[in-house]
Amino acid sequence: MDKSHLLTDMEMVGFLVNGYHLLELDLPEGLNERIAGRLDELDHNPGDAIAEEVPELWQAVEHPAVKGALVSLLGEDYEVQGHRHWHCKQPHTGHMSWHQDSTNSRDTRIDRLLGLFYPTDITPEMGPTIIVPGTQFRNAPTDRMATYTNIHGQVPMVVKAGTFALTHYDLWHGTAANRTSLKRHMIKFLFRRVRDNRAPTWNHDPEAMDVPTAWGGKRDDPKNVLSFGNPIGVGQSDHYKERQIRWKCWNNLLGVADATDR
Amino acid sequence: MSSAPNSSVRQRLLYLHARTPSVFSEILGYTPVEPIKDYRAEITADVPDWPYHTVHDALVDGWQIVQFPHLQAPIDDRDLDVVGYEFILQKLEEVQDG
Repeated sequence: MDKSHLLTDMEMVGFLVNGYHLLELDLPEGLNERIAGRLDELDHNPGDAIAEEVPELWQAVEHPAVKGALVSLLGEDYEVQGHRHWHCKQPHTGHMSWHQDSTNSRDTRIDRLLGLFYPTDITPEMGPTIIVPGTQFRNAPTDRMATYTNIHGQVPMVVKAGTFALTHYDLWHGTAANRTSLKRHMIKFLFRRVRDNRAPTWNHDPEAMDVPTAWGGKRDDPKNVLSFGNPIGVGQSDHYKERQIRWKCWNNLLGVADATDR
Repeated sequence: MSSAPNSSVRQRLLYLHARTPSVFSEILGYTPVEPIKDYRAEITADVPDWPYHTVHDALVDGWQIVQFPHLQAPIDDRDLDVVGYEFILQKLEEVQDG
């Protein structure tokens, strides 16, 4: 494949630290509007069949930038899973509480991603998806999140039409209320790794990590971002644990058989 | 002492999630609960500036802690669970509907 669409070391590390990566796709003229128009007219939710009802969605899923990011994160033979869902946030509906999908079995690997596609511009009033960077490694039962609303460092998906957000499957997410008279469309896809890496599948520089550990200095290189990134400012103990898990993930992605802690 | 119509002394709640169990550590989560019919605390896209940076700031402003973070759970120094440590605070104040 065209390697120009593979992620860089900094982008890979950014994903490990924050749990998401945004792509603004250069889709054919009028495609976003056609997709949004067809969704506006749907009178039922077809569930997994949404991509059969709106086949233009495949042009987003198969865009070279999306494929490049997926190969980088999940390996060359990643799988597009059969489950997908049209999340239509109806006009004048309330927020959705924080949650992680599924039950608690979070892992120290990068094996499953969500792909969230937005065919229209999303404003803060339209009920954007909201994520909490760095929460993808937490074994937090969704019911335990019921007393949280706004969290320091949360990021609303206030995005341009044609944005494809890749998120770690376990990232905390919810939505704000839709206070407009517009339907807010988001189509969710699932992607899965099918085999372990034996070598990096992104644009990896083998010397990327050969820099000094910046205990108190500049931290704008992959090694130090991976070690010291703390997007929501968690306490020291949690930060140490996050760091260990990220390095395990990193070594696993490198194809290091005996992934060790740092 | 007379009260305004439709008002009474009620319990206002504040869920604060702090970085550590110390009341002096920074707040990571802020959820006010007002005792007003149909009130709902919610996640918002635009987060307003919080009035307090620490639990202690809230104490200075007259809030009282009614529940401290539970620390009795087994300490697992590898796994991560919820974000921060939950303090629940209250203020008993006269509140008017609508």
